[in-house]
Amino acid sequence: MSKKAHILVVDDEMGIREGCKRALSEEGYAVDDAEDGQAGLQKVNENDYDLILVDLMMPGVGGMDLIKRIHHIDPEIITVVITGNATIETAVEATKLGAYDYLPKPFSPEALSAVVKRGLEKRILSLEAKKLYAERTQKMLELVNERSRLRTIVGCMSDGVLVANLEGRLVLWNASSVKMLKSKGFDVAGEPLEYYISSEPLITAIKEVLNSEDKDFSMVSHEIPAQDQKIILMANIAPVRDEDGKILGAVTVLRDITAFKEINKIKSQFVSMVAHELRAPIAAIKGWLEVVLSGEAGGDVEQNKKWLQRAMDRSDSLLALVSDLLVINRMETGKIAQKMERIKIDDIINKIVEFLKPDAEKQNVSIIVELPEELPSIQADVRDMEKLFTNLISNAIKYNRKNGAVTIKGEVKGSSIHLRVKDTGIGISAEHLSHIFDDFYRADDERTKKISGTGLGLTIAKKIVNSHFGRIEVASEPDKGSIFSVFLPLEHRKD
Amino acid sequence: MDKKGKILLVDDDLDFLEMHKAVLVNHGYEVMTATSAQEGLEKVRTEMPDLIVLDLMMEKHDAGFFFSKQIKSDPLFKKIPILMVTAVADTTGFKFSLEKDGYWMKTDEFLDKPVEPLVLIGKVEKLLGKKEE
Repeated sequence: MSKKAHILVVDDEMGIREGCKRALSEEGYAVDDAEDGQAGLQKVNENDYDLILVDLMMPGVGGMDLIKRIHHIDPEIITVVITGNATIETAVEATKLGAYDYLPKPFSPEALSAVVKRGLEKRILSLEAKKLYAERTQKMLELVNERSRLRTIVGCMSDGVLVANLEGRLVLWNASSVKMLKSKGFDVAGEPLEYYISSEPLITAIKEVLNSEDKDFSMVSHEIPAQDQKIILMANIAPVRDEDGKILGAVTVLRDITAFKEINKIKSQFVSMVAHELRAPIAAIKGWLEVVLSGEAGGDVEQNKKWLQRAMDRSDSLLALVSDLLVINRMETGKIAQKMERIKIDDIINKIVEFLKPDAEKQNVSIIVELPEELPSIQADVRDMEKLFTNLISNAIKYNRKNGAVTIKGEVKGSSIHLRVKDTGIGISAEHLSHIFDDFYRADDERTKKISGTGLGLTIAKKIVNSHFGRIEVASEPDKGSIFSVFLPLEHRKD
Repeated sequence: MDKKGKILLVDDDLDFLEMHKAVLVNHGYEVMTATSAQEGLEKVRTEMPDLIVLDLMMEKHDAGFFFSKQIKSDPLFKKIPILMVTAVADTTGFKFSLEKDGYWMKTDEFLDKPVEPLVLIGKVEKLLGKKEE
């Protein structure tokens, strides 16, 4: 109690009140007084007292009653009984009611001072104990809240969490871990890990952490197959230590990295495929240049020209390949936003046919456009549509026979526009048909070898159609020709 | 002038086929071509070449291996030297070597595409000379 202790004297004898006030004020206490029980009670209600001296024999509210009521208001207030006709019995009775001590009248200022001093010490002690108790209660409450919060956090994590104790028994887990490990049952806590987990490598890894003698390590990472090798989990396992660094248990956080591994694999396959597809034309170009530079043709200018032309042609196809790769990259990274607008697809097709006519004439292939006048407009990206039909129509020309034909038809079917590009060419055998939309896939045979292509034209076509919520189909008969059908919705779904 | 020898080129890339043919014809060899392993095997049977220049990766990625294994396990043809050329070694991370993969590849030489004309002629002469020894 750093502030002045506050004392109340309740006695009907004015002499006692004044005497006590004087004596205690000299000791440095703040002292109030009341001449009867009623007035005393009022003061207790109005002020905070540390110690109250109560005369047992008072008119009205008696001393015993007052003590009871004081302790009802605040049980920590120290009450000291003063009484003129004190007997041991009444004093004992008063202490039973919670009075701290008693002073028989008459008393000396020294006796008063001594009992007040002791009483106030007692008051300090009990206040501290009370504070300590309150703190402990608060801490317990916080702990309970903390546990509940931890369980909630762990429970809603998409990563799996397992906590094992030193004996290798499971003490905490979440729903994601059950799902990832497809465990037979996590319903009860405290069973050994083997009871819940079928993945041997995971159990071994957790036990290695539990049994580790290494004082410093804080976490290990393992890639672990689970569910009969169907999925791959990244397991981060960390020891839980006490203040001395002794291991108490292990926390395991599991992440399903199956999709990530798969994407990485596809990516590296694609890179290796692209590298090969790029290397072959570059090697061919270099080869032709070496043939010319090494003077194989002697002085034959015409021969050298022919060989340089071959290098030139191959450069063109390399350039086309790189352009197609860039188109795919742009579509996949979405760097170029599609600009969806209402367009007349027949205008676009007529423009492309005009553009490709010289190629067709070189091969004696005729192009017939049979699009109805009233074809409705569609919502699409102009550049995408140009690329799509350039790829389909130029394929129909390239893989055609001499004096063959390319026929382009269109009609409305339900809520889609259906466009068909039909050729009278070499066709595609059933074995190749299912792969023609794959990256770099070319139906290689005697007849396609002499036709240059990147192997990406139809991949791009399919990506464009998909991005317009449409679909592309192919029907083909070897030696008769192929029909590529594109369905594009008239209106886009409002997602 | 007498032909120096009969060489079969097997490659599905027409540029390499014609490029190697131009060089070899220029140096006095008789050259025939095939654009697939299947066609190549037929030509070996009908033409009995003195040497084969073979592309590793054709319609299927291991078509060259398949082809060379067929030839090398056939008592009639196993003495025909095979010069394997490929464009894959640098890009795929595969590293082939005669010491390590020789038995499996069953080839006599292994070169990266493109092969410089002088190197090609040098290897061909070496392999044909070795055969005569």
